[in-house]
Amino acid sequence: MERIKANRVSKKFNIRIKRKGILGRLLFLLSDEKEENMEIEVLKEISISVNSGEILGLIGRNGSGKSTLLRVLAGIYQADSGEIKMNGEPVYLAGLNNGLEDKLTMRENIFLVSSLLGLGQKDIKQKFDEIVAFSELKDYLDVKLSKFSSGMISRLAFSISVFCVSHKNPDILLLDEVFSSGGDKRFQEKSLKKMEELIKGGAAVILVSHDLDLIQKYCNRCILIEKGIMKKEGLPKEVTKYYLDSLK
Amino acid sequence: MSKIKNILGVSASLAKAGFKLRNEGSYIGIFWYLLEPLLMFMILLGLQRIINAEIPSYPLYLLLGLIMFNFFSNSTSQAINVISGKVKFIKSMKIPQEALVISALLQTTFSHIFEIILLGVFMTYYGSSFLGMLFYPLIFIFLFIFSLGISLILATLGVFITDMNNVWRVLTRLLWFATPIFYTVKETGLTKVMAFNPLYYFITAGRDFVIYQRFDMIFFIYLALISMASLILGLWIFERYKNKFAEAV
Repeated sequence: MERIKANRVSKKFNIRIKRKGILGRLLFLLSDEKEENMEIEVLKEISISVNSGEILGLIGRNGSGKSTLLRVLAGIYQADSGEIKMNGEPVYLAGLNNGLEDKLTMRENIFLVSSLLGLGQKDIKQKFDEIVAFSELKDYLDVKLSKFSSGMISRLAFSISVFCVSHKNPDILLLDEVFSSGGDKRFQEKSLKKMEELIKGGAAVILVSHDLDLIQKYCNRCILIEKGIMKKEGLPKEVTKYYLDSLK
Repeated sequence: MSKIKNILGVSASLAKAGFKLRNEGSYIGIFWYLLEPLLMFMILLGLQRIINAEIPSYPLYLLLGLIMFNFFSNSTSQAINVISGKVKFIKSMKIPQEALVISALLQTTFSHIFEIILLGVFMTYYGSSFLGMLFYPLIFIFLFIFSLGISLILATLGVFITDMNNVWRVLTRLLWFATPIFYTVKETGLTKVMAFNPLYYFITAGRDFVIYQRFDMIFFIYLALISMASLILGLWIFERYKNKFAEAV
């Protein structure tokens, strides 16, 4: 079943847009001067299609438009032209530390972030123990996050995100650099396994990553984006090789 | 329907977190909420003779006016930054953006409740009847909806105009003097002008019901009309521009 369909999607950013003060705006309205447009095209007629059960890898250099594409698909940015059809509710994850508050305790953070990820109070209570158990941070439930080490924060963030997302059982998963949990070796292995479970659960998945081994290991297909253009599409092995050669 | 439920759920969680952050987990922090209105109240009460106001139950008249206006000005001025101050947040998470605005209002509602309790203390002290208090929640719901509408507009403007909070600070200060908080409309002779000040209706309704036990139900029609107009306008503007927020901030 086709879950994600994007047809010739383009996106421009006007990098001249300055957030102006009110006086600047009023004066601007009165004057005749025209605002210069400095538009950069971040995505140029991108077309993709992902079926359920399929994992599509997106690779490319920094600033090539990978994250922008995911945001357009997630509905955070609006495409300027082209068509997007999402068959199902997408879950978008960009980084894992989002929403965490340093000055709240771990318990409070679990409730806050889970709720931001779209879980109701009842669901959170149901998932709470699992999250805590997976993070292995039970002793620190009532400690503020500012006292946590960065490894502990990554573990907590990973546990919350993964359990909340898998609870929602999404049809579409858009993942932007969220694979590495950042914990110690043992935790990384454990979280990798959990992540594997999540992306192999039958959803249509788009994976943005700079970790080419990961792309080769998990993806069915891979797309290389360069300066907003789809440069190459094909088997992960071929595309990553092409990409590496192009970097030389 | 489930979307509205989700928005309210997220709003409540954000408000709860915001409340805890502001008070650092201690309930003594509530004291600070009360200090400002209390000080203002005492200063204006001390100036009563200069203002020469002959208003029945003046202390209660003054306090209720102050705390109702406070709710409006605190919630709306917070709303300006809720979107523009959370750049990273709205770019990296798909959350209902209305929730950010509503949570700001819910937080102000917490402190408003404490201010109303303070009013209750003074009412007991002056031996005032609590019968009218039964109507206050309804009046407050309308005030909340009205402030929500204005907040949605301000949150949108805050994304596109950098110094919106300065503009709004000046405007609310003007509005404070233009609203009969420490004087009556009769004294000013500006009855006709006052008809254009929406807050005048809320505060007058609050006083008539809570302090003077004058149950003039026609007020609820006014309040419903004003608050609905504000909410519809606010939602219309916010929904129109919300897709551009992530790019503009």
